[in-house]
Amino acid sequence: MALLEVRNLKKVYTSRFGKLQVQALANVSFSVEEGEFVAIMGESGSGKTTLLNILAALDQPTGGEVLLGGKNMGTIPEKALAAFRRERLGFVFQDFNLLDTFNLRDNIFLPLVLAGHPHHVMASRLEPIARTLGITDLLDKFPYEVSGGQKQRAAVARALITHPSIVLADEPTGALDSRSSDELLHLFGEINRQGQTILMVTHSVKAASHANRVMFIKDGEVFHQIYRGSKPRHEFYQMISDALTVIATGGGTK
Amino acid sequence: MSRAFYAKLALTNIRKNAQTYYPYMMAGSAAVMMFYNMLYLRMSGEIGAMHDSMTVRTVLFLGCIVTGFFSFLLLLYINSFLIKRRKKEFGLFNILGMEKKHIARIMLIETALTALVCIGLGILAGILFGKLALLLLLNILGMDASYGFDVPPRAVIMTAVLFGAAFLVNLLYNVFQVHVSKPVELLKGGNVGEKEPRTKWLIAIVGIAALGAGYVMAITVKSPVAALYEFFIAVMLVIIGTYCLFTAGSIAILKTLRRNKRFYYRTNPFIAVSGMIYRMKQNAAGLASICILSTMVIIMLSSTVSLYVGLEDVLRTRYPREIAVMAYHVDDEQIGKLEAAVAEIAEKKGVRPQNPLSLKYVTEVAVHDGQTFIGGRGARYTDKHAALFTFITAEEYNRIEGARAELSEGEALVYVEEGKLPGDALRFDGFSLAVREQLDELGLAKEIALNDLLPNSYVVVTAGEADIVRVRQALYGDGKIGIDYAYMYHFDTAADRETQISLVSALYSNLPVDGYADGREASKRDFLSVYGSLFFLGLFLGALFILGTVLIIYYKQISEGFDDKERFAIMLKVGLDHGEIKRTIRFQVLSVFFLPLAMAVCHIAAAFPVISKLLAIFRMTNVPLYALCTGLTILAFAVCYAAIYALTARTYYKIVR
Repeated sequence: MALLEVRNLKKVYTSRFGKLQVQALANVSFSVEEGEFVAIMGESGSGKTTLLNILAALDQPTGGEVLLGGKNMGTIPEKALAAFRRERLGFVFQDFNLLDTFNLRDNIFLPLVLAGHPHHVMASRLEPIARTLGITDLLDKFPYEVSGGQKQRAAVARALITHPSIVLADEPTGALDSRSSDELLHLFGEINRQGQTILMVTHSVKAASHANRVMFIKDGEVFHQIYRGSKPRHEFYQMISDALTVIATGGGTK
Repeated sequence: MSRAFYAKLALTNIRKNAQTYYPYMMAGSAAVMMFYNMLYLRMSGEIGAMHDSMTVRTVLFLGCIVTGFFSFLLLLYINSFLIKRRKKEFGLFNILGMEKKHIARIMLIETALTALVCIGLGILAGILFGKLALLLLLNILGMDASYGFDVPPRAVIMTAVLFGAAFLVNLLYNVFQVHVSKPVELLKGGNVGEKEPRTKWLIAIVGIAALGAGYVMAITVKSPVAALYEFFIAVMLVIIGTYCLFTAGSIAILKTLRRNKRFYYRTNPFIAVSGMIYRMKQNAAGLASICILSTMVIIMLSSTVSLYVGLEDVLRTRYPREIAVMAYHVDDEQIGKLEAAVAEIAEKKGVRPQNPLSLKYVTEVAVHDGQTFIGGRGARYTDKHAALFTFITAEEYNRIEGARAELSEGEALVYVEEGKLPGDALRFDGFSLAVREQLDELGLAKEIALNDLLPNSYVVVTAGEADIVRVRQALYGDGKIGIDYAYMYHFDTAADRETQISLVSALYSNLPVDGYADGREASKRDFLSVYGSLFFLGLFLGALFILGTVLIIYYKQISEGFDDKERFAIMLKVGLDHGEIKRTIRFQVLSVFFLPLAMAVCHIAAAFPVISKLLAIFRMTNVPLYALCTGLTILAFAVCYAAIYALTARTYYKIVR
């Protein structure tokens, strides 16, 4: 069974008095296996962010369902949703979303504190993650004292520390310079090789080329997808780039 | 761009910022109303008809100054808050192509509109409520009110000018703020990454020391005169201590809490403590101000209320009998003349003195230097070791107290009314009196009204006049000095109020010797006009200060709400649910909210002894009554405070959500 299954997902935004309806997701179905690193690509307004918000249980779909580990997320009661989110999902955001009032260590601890873990458990979990991400020496610093790349690595640590089933990343390289982007993407690859499932939304071809599989969304539907297989990265990059060109020039209009 | 365009834009701006602008306008109107009312009362013709209207007018004048000053500051404070919030808006206008002079023009229209609304509404409300305030004041003073309705134009003009000036200052400040900043900075507004505050141990320690010293001074104060003297120092120390503790002490405590890992790493403390460290950095001064303001409101209200309520008590302490006649520097012959004159005048008024008490005595002030009492003309009343001596002869003592004391020369009976005796003898320079017995009770001490002002006060019974003369010669260092008696004659009349008052004035103007006559009923009017107007002022300023406190807290909560909005949005994404958010918010808001109040209650408790002593100067010695008034005032204030809390917590949560 797939780790994440999305079936016939639909989302329609209605303006306040119901005059105007905008369809963000028309009919999206796909599945993610455990250990996969999937990138979702699409232009602005294609419905990527809506999709990610629904997967993150921050938004409810108008139709269809999402199953994580066989559990239908639509059936989780409101009260248990926050706990579900922090135990099963890890988030990495474009703008890091670190809290200014905490140093990096406390930022990383945040989901565990909310879950009520004792301090020694948090400390022992942090140690290997911080080492992998190379932020062991930065833990006592505050977000305003470190670079963007370092902030994003702290955010990744925060996503990983709960040992989530899946990490959802929303344009994680969007606010980073190219060197920091490369480092972060390598880290994603590394984490993925250790068995972590990752779902990343991006419109950077370079970022997508680090994934095992790339899905393209257009007009609220999964339009096309390609697998990397054993191809080298530069070749995969070319394939993604070609696919985007085809989509952008309208060659693939159904 | 047309004129109408600016006006329209200004209107839309005000409407868009309703959450902060409407309270501003309401507060402005309320301040205008209160100031106008004060002026109106001061100028109103009806008070002129009152007995002793000067006192009332002086108190009201004081009220005008405080009200005006406080209102002015309050408007400036709120404005500085508003403009900080709106910088982004003006930055956007700037970037969209509006020049700064255009923005200034919009600001001008906005300010003019706001000022018009505030001053107009305020004066209107002032005219409506002015009469009500007047009725309240007259009622408190025990006067009858007429039912006229007047609007003194001078009060209207002065109010309009003062608040017009306040709004003008605000406008200039705002234009200046926009003028000196760059558009990009305006856009960013307040959201600059803030550094974590450092722990300032030195300031924290200074705070603890100042507060401790202030408290000790207030608690250990000995006498009313010393109280008056030390009270201001204590107040200063406590104010300094409060500011230091709120700014540095709070951060030191929070950081210590953060270091305790088992306490800190739990949901509520985790979010609250980390947030508070930043909150304290920005708001410590504000919270300290709220604390001081609350303390002042409560002390002012409780003391004026207890003075007013305890008026009868005060009069009874001040005048144990209805009529008091006092004479200075008299001998037996003059006393005889005086008694005859009093009897004659009383008879003319149809009064027969009842329950009379007469006493001749000698008072001296001396300062104890550790060995002896040094005195005479150099003795200062404010000295800590100053003592008031009231000397009476054994003959007088036996006559009044119905005792049968027999003393030989050089011996004395001593009654200590205040303070302590320095040893078993009263040593003067070159002469000393052995204390044969220390009296536990002395009925006539209550009649001599001056005694409770000095730190030490003794009534000394000597064998005869010769010993008193010896003491005086020792104190003044002059072997030729003789006796100098004061004489008091107190009696009841069983007459009505009017008769008593006319008797007192007849006595006063016909005394054959140096002295004065006074009476309970005659003073009641004077006391009532002083305490009554102070009481009214206390109520009035209390209301004004509560308004100020409410506004400061309201705006504080809103600005913090905006700051916390982002933080809670992030926590929501990371896995905090709405219920938990609500709980942590409540925890955080509650602690910030009630910290100043708790501190204020501490201050009041510490100030209690010194204020009771100060009230003794006003002859208000009923401490349980003062305690009751204080308790009730704190309770009333806490209820107001809780209401504000409920209101602002809701607004805060709405913003954060």
